[in-house]
Amino acid sequence: MNAISYYRPRNLVEALKVIHDYAGRAKVIAGGTNVLPDIQAGKVKDCVLVDVTGLDELSGIRMEGDMVFLGSLTLISDLAASRTIREQANVLWQACQVFGDPLVRNRATIGGNLAYASPAADTAVPLLLLETTLIAESLAKGRREIPLTQFFRGPGETVLAPEELVTSLFFHSTSSYQGAYIKFGLRQAMVISVANCGVLLKGTDTFQAARVGFGALAPVPLRATQTEAFLCGQVPDESVFAKAAAIAQSELHPISDLRGSREYRVMLADALFKQAMRKALA
Amino acid sequence: MDQLTESMITIFLNDQPFQAVAGASESLLDFLRHRALATEVKCGCGRGDCGTCAVLFDGRMVKSCLVLAAQANGKRVYTIRGLGRDALMANLQDSFIQHGAIQCGFCTPGMLMAAYNLLRIKPTPTRSEIRQGIAGNLCRCTGYQKIIDAIAAVAGKTAFVSEAADSLDSPNPTATDQEKAKAGYLLLGGG
Ligand SMILES: Cc1cc2nc3c(=O)[nH]c(=O)nc-3n(C[C@H](O)[C@H](O)[C@H](O)COP(=O)(O)OP(=O)(O)OC[C@H]3O[C@@H](n4cnc5c(N)ncnc54)[C@H](O)[C@@H]3O)c2cc1C
Ligand code: FES
Ligand code: FES
Repeated sequence: MNAISYYRPRNLVEALKVIHDYAGRAKVIAGGTNVLPDIQAGKVKDCVLVDVTGLDELSGIRMEGDMVFLGSLTLISDLAASRTIREQANVLWQACQVFGDPLVRNRATIGGNLAYASPAADTAVPLLLLETTLIAESLAKGRREIPLTQFFRGPGETVLAPEELVTSLFFHSTSSYQGAYIKFGLRQAMVISVANCGVLLKGTDTFQAARVGFGALAPVPLRATQTEAFLCGQVPDESVFAKAAAIAQSELHPISDLRGSREYRVMLADALFKQAMRKALA
Repeated sequence: MDQLTESMITIFLNDQPFQAVAGASESLLDFLRHRALATEVKCGCGRGDCGTCAVLFDGRMVKSCLVLAAQANGKRVYTIRGLGRDALMANLQDSFIQHGAIQCGFCTPGMLMAAYNLLRIKPTPTRSEIRQGIAGNLCRCTGYQKIIDAIAAVAGKTAFVSEAADSLDSPNPTATDQEKAKAGYLLLGGG
């Protein structure tokens, strides 16, 4: 029997208690842009949908010193329209401009994007480059911080316990960096990436710091740490980009799927990385 | 604890209260079409891809097949029918007719809603911005050019949208409905 029921807690304490009481059967729903198609497809069934959209305390963008805090329910459209995000986390802002379509952005939350753990998730690479920390809360484990680098386990899998709720995330401002996010989809807009790449660079004559990330080119979105190490101290020119792209290839594990073959993704990684480097420095 | 497989849902649909029982996993789209008989909201896919089901929900344009009916309890929902007396929407409708932007018409309600959403946020979009604005709406007939022409023609006449557009630019997610209505954020804030 496919029994789905619904519960709408009014605040965080109540939400954590409900998720705890329905241990194993609770299924968090935020914007629903992943959950509703999954209900349609029969992938979500036999559960208690715990609707967190009434938890106003989990929404919003706030700066404290040079730290940016985001509630997990913050909408992609609010990030895309935020001056704080444009100035302090431009690489994330760029990703939010190309995320889905305007109507999806009006519902999709940043917490849902991370928790769904698609290897192609558009906020994942930018948030990895920003060295984001998540805050997860549950009655059993209390409140804990999870560095985003340790969060993804595989496609659709995270380190979250079934009863943990992502409540917020935070990162340092990168206003002194130059960044770029490039997404390649099968159409201009609205589609899940075939592959994506983001870079965050500091220094113009030589690179003082370099952060490089790839999405949909391995089971989880990842930082290319060897590529980053190589780039530090190098001058920004095409031969350096080519060498760095070759190193990046060794750090990726693309798969074949209905959106592209393995070989195609290898070529894409190369092209997207070089494009991102050029765009960041332009 | 009162987790329910179905419950009584009240929405404010085009400024009128509407009440019916909805299943826990029922989409707002199904609720509107099958319970409220608001068949001007179309179902082209039921999974977020086509945009025919667009409604103004709680001050934001969304795809109603991606929202649970239960999530809409107590909220305002406007369908294209409810926006008919809005000047911007009326202009868009006229322009779609003048430019032949309608063939079978199935995509039209959603397309108009997406165009309305775009022009409220960005009164003078470029053609490429218009394309981005309707990127989530599929049309199998027109090839999009005439739809883009129709939207571009209205985009020129911005005088009547500027006020609403200003306030939409930075929607304040914590504002109450009343505040939003005052800010012009919810153009048709009831009462
Ligand atoms: C037409 C369409 C286009 C799309 N385009 C893109 C795109 O371009 N890029 C992209 O990355 N994604 C895209 N998506 C996918 C989706 O919109 C995003 O992943 C979105 O951010 C999910 O957020 P949500 O609030 O809707 O999540 P929901 O659907 O509510 O939830 C998603 C998952 O996360 C869990 N969850 C939600 N919130 C929390 C929380 N706070 N703590 C713990 N678990 C939680 C839920 O249990 C569920 O498993 C698209 C979807 C559609 C339908
Ligand atoms: S029916 Fe909602 S997007 Fe297609
Ligand atoms: S007019 Fe037929 S789908 Fe657009």
